[in-house]
Amino acid sequence: MSASRSLRLSGHALLLIAAAPILLFLLLPSLIIVPMALSKSQMIQFPPEWISLHSFADYLGDPQWVDSTLLSFQVTIVAVLIAAVTGGTAAIALHGRSFAGKGLLVGLIMMPIVTPVVILALGDYLLFAQLRVLGSWVPIAIAHGVLATPYVFISAQTSLTSELNPALVRSARSLGARPISVLYHVYWPAVRPGVLAGSMLGFAVSFDEVVLALFLQGANSVTLPVRTFSAIQYELTPKIAASASLFIVLALVALALQAFAARKTGRLS
Amino acid sequence: MNSAVQPEKVSASSHQAGREVEVRGLWKSYGHGAYVVRDVSFALQRGEFLTLLGPSGSGKTTSLMMVAGFEKPTRGEILVDGRDVARRPPEQRNFGVVFQGYALFPHKSVLENVEFGLRMKGVPPAARRRQAFDMLEKVGLANFAMRKPRELSGGQQQRVALARALVFEPDALLLDEPLSALDRKLRESLQNEIKELQKRFGISILFVTHDQDEAMMMSDRIAVMAEGRIVQIGSPSDVYLHPATPFVAGFLGETNLVPGTYRGTDEGYAVVDFKDTARGRARLPADGRNLTAGEAVVVSVRPERVRLLTHQAEPNFPGVVADCTFLGRHTRYSIQALGQALTVSVTEWSQTSALCNGAPVWLGWNVEDAQILSGPEGALATPEEIIR
Repeated sequence: MSASRSLRLSGHALLLIAAAPILLFLLLPSLIIVPMALSKSQMIQFPPEWISLHSFADYLGDPQWVDSTLLSFQVTIVAVLIAAVTGGTAAIALHGRSFAGKGLLVGLIMMPIVTPVVILALGDYLLFAQLRVLGSWVPIAIAHGVLATPYVFISAQTSLTSELNPALVRSARSLGARPISVLYHVYWPAVRPGVLAGSMLGFAVSFDEVVLALFLQGANSVTLPVRTFSAIQYELTPKIAASASLFIVLALVALALQAFAARKTGRLS
Repeated sequence: MNSAVQPEKVSASSHQAGREVEVRGLWKSYGHGAYVVRDVSFALQRGEFLTLLGPSGSGKTTSLMMVAGFEKPTRGEILVDGRDVARRPPEQRNFGVVFQGYALFPHKSVLENVEFGLRMKGVPPAARRRQAFDMLEKVGLANFAMRKPRELSGGQQQRVALARALVFEPDALLLDEPLSALDRKLRESLQNEIKELQKRFGISILFVTHDQDEAMMMSDRIAVMAEGRIVQIGSPSDVYLHPATPFVAGFLGETNLVPGTYRGTDEGYAVVDFKDTARGRARLPADGRNLTAGEAVVVSVRPERVRLLTHQAEPNFPGVVADCTFLGRHTRYSIQALGQALTVSVTEWSQTSALCNGAPVWLGWNVEDAQILSGPEGALATPEEIIR
């Protein structure tokens, strides 16, 4: 018994030795950004000259960078709303139905994930140029909404399959519920976890999306990723590292919140 | 609220809740496929407990779903107090439906579940809360009003489902195999509870099940269904003791099917010649069909209705014990008689207990307990064959 136990322990040790370098490789780029942000230097560099918070002050004091940050939030929130509504309602509409051309319809909804982003960006650019709305932030939000929709659709679909008991729809109707009430009282509680999880993914997709935002940018509509991208090309300022560090912290907080929420609902059910 | 306590003072209309529901010539097919429900007609009287009983695929659930409004009849009428509701969507009918697994709203409290029907009908919040709470009090769940359904036991969930279906004073309750997923012990106590609630509220119930014991125990009348049709409808004792077809005889418990030849009628009973020149009497067909002398018939006799004697007495047939099994409450005999193996179930231990393999015996039955079944088409088809 102790022999098999030690065997299992050595197995675990081997797994750790194999996995640790991979984990390090995945995490290092993110971790390296933080000390770079704490550099005294006016240029972004590695190893950094420690230790100063001036890059954070520079970032938060530069109106262009602050505007880009706020704009990114604005674009992302609108994009996520678009994706949540279209992805969620599409999942509900297609749930439990079968008809000719359903596969085609699902394919159409999933297209933004499959299509190379450059092609999507070019198409959007030509379309919005035709409509003479280029230069505003709205086209970016719409394009990002289209990109985020499949993520919400997929997770809403999963959540409906696992949470929605078809007898609930019938029981609500037998109790006098019209379709709109069935939607609110039966479908919405079942689809909500999926829409929330999908929106979280959609937020991540939209917030750091750079290709669409680059094609559709205007003088007053430069998102944070686009600003960072051009800064790396022309400025190499430690503001890049500062903003990146802030968003790493933000992502960690969001992950912790999600884990907490998952544990809470997990305990209830 | 006191209707159960003072039955005399309550008017008939409030004690016999619900309306008369009549189904006339209901047919259903999907697309151009075969009919799964064929010409089904029945009337659910006020306060009656009517069960649609049949194997899976017999059309019982489809029939119930057409009454509820979830399936559209291909042809036929569904009359509630004479008004046809067959073309209305389910939310515009007024039936309380209880599903298998109960289908309670998992995200709503017990109280919110019960008041849902009233909410959908536009009853203001304060009034519907009070009504729902009163109903929970009547089913003994007032203390659980704020719980979520998953925090309740199976029996409590059933009471919530029934309270939810009863609170808006439906025309009738429709129950779609609510108990078939449960184990035997819980099922029996829940059957009693449904029966008790039905008597207390005086509501009419249309019940669907494939379990013949459940149907016998709960129903005022049973409609036995096979292949989309109602084969026989009547009280539990009627369909059990006087089955119309071999299918009904076999589906509602065990039976002996004895072929014979009809010779004539004597004092309202049929005279039948069995194999080995034995002559006996039996009830005429339950569907009132006329027989002609010389016609081949099948007689059904329940194993517990066959008398087993050690001496000759009238009327009787000789036989030989082929096998016997002691089963506690009764003893089962397999007896070679009338050219076939007959099953006999005996509860008295005394005189027949000593009989076993090879012993000669005499068989007999009361004429009331022998029933000529309908034939000839499919006359010898057993339930197993029809299910297949």
